[in-house]
Amino acid sequence: MSIADNALTDEMASRDDMIVCRGVKKWFGDFQALRGVDVTVKDREVMVVLGPSGSGKSTLIRCINRLEVHQEGDIIVDGVELTNDLRNIEKIRSEVGMVFQQFNLFPHLTVLDNVTLAPIWVRKKPKAEAEGKAMELLERVGIPEQAAKFPGQLSGGQQQRVAIARSLAMEPRIMLFDEPTSALDPEMISEVLDVMKDLARGGMTMMVVTHEMGFAREVADRLVFMESGDVVEVGTPEHFFTNPREERTKLFLSQIL
Amino acid sequence: MTDTTIATAPPEAPLPSPVRWMRDNLFSSVSNTVQTIAFTTVLLGLLRWVLGLVFADESNWVSVATNMRLLFTYNYPAEQFVRIWFAAGALFVAVGASFAAWNINPSITLRRIGVSLMGTGGITLVVALITPSATPSNLRTAMWVLGAALVVIAALVLRVVPEPHRRRVPFLALLIGASAIVCAIMWFVPFGDYGFSDGEPTAADGIVASSTRVPWTVLFIIMIATYVAGRGLAQVVSLAPLRRAMIAWWVIGPAFILFMVLRDPEFDWAHIWSTDLPMAAGFALGGGALIYVLAAPGRSDLARVVGAIVAAAAVFNWVAAFFGWYPMLQKARFSFALAAITILLVPNFAGERSARLRVAAVWAGFMVVFHWLLTGINTASTLDITAPPFLGGFVLTVSIAYYVMLASFPLGVLLSLARTSKLPIFRVLSTTYIEVVRGVPLITVLFFFSIMLPLFLPSGMGISDLAAVFAGYTVFSAAYMAENIRGGLQSVRRGQYEAADALGLTTVQRTSLIVLPQALRVSIPNLVGQAIATFKETSLIAIVGGFDLLRIANSTIPNQPDFLGQKRPALLFISLVYFVVAYTMSRASRNLETRLQAGQAR
Repeated sequence: MSIADNALTDEMASRDDMIVCRGVKKWFGDFQALRGVDVTVKDREVMVVLGPSGSGKSTLIRCINRLEVHQEGDIIVDGVELTNDLRNIEKIRSEVGMVFQQFNLFPHLTVLDNVTLAPIWVRKKPKAEAEGKAMELLERVGIPEQAAKFPGQLSGGQQQRVAIARSLAMEPRIMLFDEPTSALDPEMISEVLDVMKDLARGGMTMMVVTHEMGFAREVADRLVFMESGDVVEVGTPEHFFTNPREERTKLFLSQIL
Repeated sequence: MTDTTIATAPPEAPLPSPVRWMRDNLFSSVSNTVQTIAFTTVLLGLLRWVLGLVFADESNWVSVATNMRLLFTYNYPAEQFVRIWFAAGALFVAVGASFAAWNINPSITLRRIGVSLMGTGGITLVVALITPSATPSNLRTAMWVLGAALVVIAALVLRVVPEPHRRRVPFLALLIGASAIVCAIMWFVPFGDYGFSDGEPTAADGIVASSTRVPWTVLFIIMIATYVAGRGLAQVVSLAPLRRAMIAWWVIGPAFILFMVLRDPEFDWAHIWSTDLPMAAGFALGGGALIYVLAAPGRSDLARVVGAIVAAAAVFNWVAAFFGWYPMLQKARFSFALAAITILLVPNFAGERSARLRVAAVWAGFMVVFHWLLTGINTASTLDITAPPFLGGFVLTVSIAYYVMLASFPLGVLLSLARTSKLPIFRVLSTTYIEVVRGVPLITVLFFFSIMLPLFLPSGMGISDLAAVFAGYTVFSAAYMAENIRGGLQSVRRGQYEAADALGLTTVQRTSLIVLPQALRVSIPNLVGQAIATFKETSLIAIVGGFDLLRIANSTIPNQPDFLGQKRPALLFISLVYFVVAYTMSRASRNLETRLQAGQAR
């Protein structure tokens, strides 16, 4: 990145912008998944990303911690621009927590080891301290009694709560949620959403891809509606659920509500 | 880890009566009955044929009994034999301690024991019935008595003891029971005492020699004692350090045994003290100090210059070796080359004091083990002395198999990682290596290393037969190991990589903490299969000059004046030895899989 770009970055990104995406474009082969996305998430803000499947919303949040590499545009996370510099990427990844649709817990490690792994190896915390913190977090997501079990012995909802605890153990400044409840049985969705609501109330900066409209209405500070790799509309829940501006947004909401 | 991680078997249903069982399983329909009769006939015929081989007039088992020592330890000097027992003792201690450290205590129900006894007894009776007339009559009588006794005991266990399927026999009792049976056989069964005395075979009636039965008895007692002590220790202290210690032992211990215990009786201790030890210490400490100094932040350029100089010196050493300009121990040349590579890599390790110390310590430790291994494998003492074989027989077979597996495992892991790497250079190199090696028969690789390689080495340099076989076999085995592990790597889901990345783990951490543990777990059945194949195929070293089990059975014994041409008993005997070891490994792997699955049920 040139000096001019960096100067631009400093000028445009204000101090409390945690995530800034500008003109982000991304192709999978010939298919363009993101067509120049501009989104800004402020500190302590909960941003919910809506959109039909294939609209690029997962791709967008996967670009933010560089699980996918965008080809054009800038992504600036907590003042650090995402480039190919490995050190930047590792720094950003350790400050950005990510929760996946499929949980992606490590099946060969106990719940406790899943949660303590990154603090011990990435943050270089002493084991006892990491375990103390992990038990606190498991307490917070409501499953301290499962600490010695393996992920395969837990229900889907419990696994997802462990995954959230695992991300929180790194004390991230930002949490990304990629359809965290889509793989869950209906009766387990609320236990995960409750944890997320609790997190949002605690002031965590969050970017959430979800189809849970109740959650979006209750918790989100702002919503983004995406379609075919474009941001169609950005606004408050009130704006979205009472008076959306764009036809496409209206159509989507009418289908899903 | 507590007992809760071990899955408990479902409750067993009471056993049906034998008549009922036979009706249900063997004679349930016309076709079933026909098949049962046909296959029983074939089986009995085969058994009769094997018994004919075993007890035929021309099968003289005296040749095997007399050469037992040769088969197991080759020409190991009798006056040094205590070393063999010490090595075996170290292994038995390790086995007992490992059982305790990993909480291996499979209990068996009384019913399963009863069924096994019944089966064994029944087969013994059948053997007694159909065994050919050449069988010594006292042996046949013994078979009848033993078979009947086993059947009676089994019937008592199954029919008189209430609820035998609910009564579990603890592992310790099984261990003691099995050891007691083996010892009782040695102490009470009149096998006779056979051996050589001044090159002449000797034979005496009675039980086996005390020089055999006493050490074995002691070994079993030691193993049980270690197990009990380990279990006791596990109640008091955490198991984790015990496990780490055991892993370290299984990696380094065999080298210790080979180098310190089984080493060539002609071993040149003066050479060790005057040359080998100072050299290892020099490379370890000197190199470590150099690395520590050069890894300081801001010294990267200096490190590159020094690295280039050492690299130039290392290359010069090899050129000099080729033209015979000056003598130098081969391992010194290897060490210089390794030092050059390491110093060139030092700028990557540059960092704080503790990090530098760690790198230096790793180098020092590696050098010590490296020199130790080179010395151990190349007895006597150094690479440029080619020693006559002092290891042979079963000990050689087991040593080669163990070392090849131990060395080819990390090599195979690296190759499989390289083959799945994103970097094309690694991928191409690794794929080429694997495909080339897999396209060549093992015997060709062994010939290359033991016969061709020394021809290309400059004068004054050599490689002992043992080292050549070990190197060649490792190169070969690593390629297959890599393919087995690659299968496991491919089974690790993409989400695991992403989760590790999202947590900020580095590539090395992701690979070693997340990907490899899962991949290796999946690969266990294949890896054990390969271990069994490796063990059996050590018999190929007979062709390139090693005196392993096969070579002794096939050519050494039949060439002894007293047993001219007697191949059959020895070959039957070593088949049994191979089978017992391979079957044990296979059972152990099945238990391991069950334990791992029980630990992380999906």
